[in-house]
Order: sequence, then C-alpha cells, then structure tokens
Amino acid sequence: MGVKSSIEKVLGILALGTMLIGSYVGLAVVPADAAQGNVQRLMYVHVPAAWLAFLAFFVVFVMSVLYLIQRDDRWDRVAASSAEIGVVFTVLTLLLGMMWGKPTWGVYWTWDPRLTTTAILLAIYVGYGALRSFAEDGEKRARWSAIVGVIGFANVPIVYMSVTWWRTLHQPPSSPRSVDPDILWTLMLNLAAFTLVYLYLMVRRIRFAKLEGELEKRMAYNA
Amino acid sequence: MCLVGPNGAGKTTLLKLVATLLRPSGGDAHVMGHSLLNDPDEIRKRTGLLTVRGFLYDDLSAAENLHFTMRMAGLKPRREVIARVLERIGLAEVADNRMRTFSTGMRKRLALGQLLVRPIEIALMDEPYSGLDSQGMRLVDEVVADFKAAGTTVLLASHQDGEAVREAEKTGILRRGHLEILPESEPLSRHLSVGGPAGAPEVD
Amino acid sequence: MSVLHRAWAIVWKDLLIEARTKQSFNAMVFFAALVLFIFSFALGPDTELLQEVAGGLLWVGIAFTGLLSLSRTYQNEETSGGLEGLRAYPGDSRAIYLGKLLGNIVLLLLVEAVLIPAAGILFQANLWPHALGLAAVSILGTIGFSLVGTFYSALTVNLRAREVMLPLLLFPALVPVLLGAVNATTLILEGDLMGEAVVWLRVLGAFDIIFFVICIWIFPIALEE
Repeated sequence: MGVKSSIEKVLGILALGTMLIGSYVGLAVVPADAAQGNVQRLMYVHVPAAWLAFLAFFVVFVMSVLYLIQRDDRWDRVAASSAEIGVVFTVLTLLLGMMWGKPTWGVYWTWDPRLTTTAILLAIYVGYGALRSFAEDGEKRARWSAIVGVIGFANVPIVYMSVTWWRTLHQPPSSPRSVDPDILWTLMLNLAAFTLVYLYLMVRRIRFAKLEGELEKRMAYNA
Repeated sequence: MCLVGPNGAGKTTLLKLVATLLRPSGGDAHVMGHSLLNDPDEIRKRTGLLTVRGFLYDDLSAAENLHFTMRMAGLKPRREVIARVLERIGLAEVADNRMRTFSTGMRKRLALGQLLVRPIEIALMDEPYSGLDSQGMRLVDEVVADFKAAGTTVLLASHQDGEAVREAEKTGILRRGHLEILPESEPLSRHLSVGGPAGAPEVD
Repeated sequence: MSVLHRAWAIVWKDLLIEARTKQSFNAMVFFAALVLFIFSFALGPDTELLQEVAGGLLWVGIAFTGLLSLSRTYQNEETSGGLEGLRAYPGDSRAIYLGKLLGNIVLLLLVEAVLIPAAGILFQANLWPHALGLAAVSILGTIGFSLVGTFYSALTVNLRAREVMLPLLLFPALVPVLLGAVNATTLILEGDLMGEAVVWLRVLGAFDIIFFVICIWIFPIALEE
C-alpha cells in the first residue's frame, strides 16, 4: 500500500506540474499563429486530448484481447478504467474542436475525418459503458465488453479510411500543419502532460475498480 | 436417478449444468469421463435434455420439429424413425399439424419424442410429468423404463410422484444447492461422478 | 462439414417459419415503405432533390428495417425455449451464427427486392440501367449489415434494455457499411462517370471479409453461458 500510494502521489505531482508548465508555455510563451490568432492555442489541448482518447481506446483493445485469452479480471479492470477515462478525453476533444472551429471556420462542426472518427469513437465508448452498466453478472460483463472493445477498435481504422475517402471525394481534408519547432515542442510538452494525467487517473481508477470488484464478490457470497 | 427437492433448490440448474448449458462457476465435474469445462461438446453428443417448456417451434409441425432435432444432432433425418417415434408418443395422427394447435400435454409428449429420435447415453428430464394426463404420465414411465433397459442413464427431477420416481435406483435430495444422496450404492454412480469443493456439486 | 449442415438446418427452419407466418417480412416491407414515404413528404415533390438523395434515403430505410428484423432473429427462438435449446445440441456453435446470418441476409435481400423498385418509383429514378451495380451494392451492404447485426443481437439477447443496446452498439460499427453503401448507390445512380463506385464496393467487400472472420471466430465466446 505504501509503495503504491507514493507512486500515485509522485505521478499526480508530475502530472500537475507538467500541465501547469505546458499550459503556461502554450498560452503565454509560444507566439500566436499568424493566420488564426490566439484561438490556435487551443491546438495544444485539442490535439493531445485527441491523441489520448485514441491511446486510451487502444489500451481498451489490448486489455480486451488479453482478457479474452486469459480471463483474468485484472485486464478487465484496466480496460474498463481506460474506457471511462477515454470518454472524458473524447468529449474534451470534441468540445475543444468545436470551440476551435467556430471562430476559425465559422462552424461548430466539420465533417473532418478525424473529428468524425472521434465522434464515432465516442459512440463506441458509450456503447461499451452502457453494456457494462446493463450486465449484472461480473464475468459476463467482462466478457461481453471485451468483445465489444475488440470489435469496436478493429472498426476504427476502417471508419477512418471510409470517412477520409468520403471527404476527399467532396472536399480536400483540412489539417493544421505545424512545422515551426517552437510549436512542435510545445505540443510535445502538452502531450507529455496529458499522458501523465492519463496515467495518474488510470492508477487511481484501477485501484478503485479493484475495491469495487472485491465489494461485488463479497456481496455475491452473502446473497 | 431421481432428484427431488423444493422449488428453487437448484434441480433445473443441476440438470442444465450436466447438459453443459450452464458453466460451473467453480470447480469442475466429469460426465462419462468428459470434463464439463474442457470437453462440453463430447457430453452434448450423448446427452438429451427434456425441459419444462420443451424446445419446440410453434410454426413447424410435429414431424418437422423432430426432423429439425435430428438434423441439429448431426443425424440424417429418416422418415421411418420419425414416424416410429411419433407412434410411440401417441402423436402419429397429428404429425403434420402445426405445433401451435397442440395442447400442453401434446407438447410435452413431443418434447419427450425429441429424446427418442437420437441415440443418447444420458437422459436428463426436468419435471417430466408436468402438464401430462395419466396416460401421458404412463408414457413417461414407460420411456424411462425403456431407457433403463437399454442402459441409458436417466437423471430425473420431479416433485410429482410417479412410478419412475418410485422405481429410481438412486434418489437425491437437493436443498438450496446441497445434494444429499440417500444411502444405496448402485452402479449408476459409474455414469455420473461429481467433484468440486466439499464433494458436492457447485451450483451457481 | 457438420457445421454447414447444421447451419443449413437453421436457415431452413427459419425461412420455413417465415414463409408460413410472414411475420417479419410483412412488418419489414411495411415499415420500409413508411420510411420512404415520410422522407418523400419531408423533402417535397422536387424530384431532382429526391433523386440526389435517393441513395441515402434508400439505405436509411434498409438500415432501420434491418434493425427491425434483427430484433426478431432471436425472438423467434425466445418463444420456443430460447437460444438455450440451440446450444444444447452438439457441434460447433458457430453453426448457429452462420445459420442465423444466412437467414437474415436472405430475408433482408428479399425485402430490398421490393424496396428498391419501390424507391425507384417514388423518387422517379430509372433503375434498370443500373441494375447490376445496385445489386452488387445491395448484396455487399446487406452482408455487412447482417454480419455485425447478427453478432450483436446474439450478444444483447439476454441483456436488459436490449432494444436500446442493439442499435447503440450496432450503428457506430456500421458506419463503414453505411458510408460505402450510400456513396456507392448515389454514384451508381448518377452514372458514375469516374468509376468511383468501385472504390466503395471494395470498402464494403473488405469490411465484409474482415468482419466475417472476426465475428465467426469470436462467436462461441459471445455465446458462452
């Protein structure tokens, strides 16, 4: 217990620290974009959030596969935790995308392949979560959500390709290009910060999930 | 062997476990030497299950239902076999009528017929008497007797009395998940050996 | 080969029951027609507009209709003892998936055979010159839809709030199919001057193959008790 909680604390402090530094650099230090102005700074949160949303989902996928092979509850807990945290990052990505879109292109939503795929990712996550909440038996819940996790993730690249094709037939894709080294390393910094936040949240959530699992087992015995 | 016990004791659960429809949540059991966890298909090949509701399609005829059962059991459905079984269970005249028109008793007989169209080594019967009139109950007793004569193990759960129940070579009382076999050592135990924590089947 | 035999037994059984009761078929055709009509009303009598969006409307109709039939796939089994009965039979449980899959595909294709000409009439689009292309999209799209649909309806059959969970799980998974089918259909109806429809047909084909492999592989795990 001692080692674990101190890892958590260190992780938490690191996460907070890098977030603060990253935000400061992103907001104050790096020069604003010539064309878009200060709104472009949103990129420093939007892109890492998107990246993490996908990373979290990838983790769900790997854990789901592991669970289906080994049937170890640990993998299920990690998967479920990652899915929950992933939803947060996904919603964040979409909201930030909208906030960025309105002043920049005049619309809240564009059918940009990445944005669209993120929206579909959200739908898959929500389905995953709903499935878990409706399945009462622990083993079934783990097994079914693992299946959905695997299929859902397998679909993401296909979805992305389909939407990209769809878009290129109608309009060329719009992607912000950043070659400027200042922008690049600020992005990296914020990316690292977000990743640390993800890890911190994961560690805490998994620990909580373990407690939840034990509580469930105890309740099943007494029932 | 006959299983008796109050409602909710787990008789149906136990039968379903042996039929490999349910997975043991803890421990394992061996049926005819095959493990429930690792080898369920081998068990399914040799086991027939008679449930309370039966497993029949309303919009197919009696003959077609049996035809389907044979196909799904991996057999080539032969008209003579089906006709013979229908005769045995007393449904020969209504063979081509849709099951929708059948009474409860008739359905039960057809469900019984499903056990007869395939070669099985273990017959699992859950409340075989329910829904049957005295003629039907006699049919069940005859079928059970035939099974026994042929060497097929019969595991029967019932809270109704009947000849088959009384003639059972072994009786077990199931109460809230714990099975107590009334003392009588018989070779039936050859066919069904159960192992798990505390030596009693782990009923979920 | 007994997997195929048993799958075929299930297809035979389901289609026989359907032929006798016509429950699903009638409901599906009626529902699909309703959808098409409502869309026509909503978009107004401007035939040019209707023709532009005909592809999309058609597939919206097919998707919702397909959803209707999926909910009934295992409902049929429900009144006769449920999926349980099928699982009690020996042999690979993948036969169940295959059987149900084929049944769904056939049924949906039959409904489309009625629906597509009806759409042609309502939207005043001449479909005959494009019959081959439309058939190809129809088949590939229906297969894709049924692959995922049959799988997820087995998964959700014992779940609470099944009627909500099935579409919730299904539609994100079907995005490639819908995109592919709608775009291919629209392009084909417009004459497809640049041969772009083939790209979409390939997307559909790839999706079908990938998900056939995945679903049939994982099915026994989904069915475990």
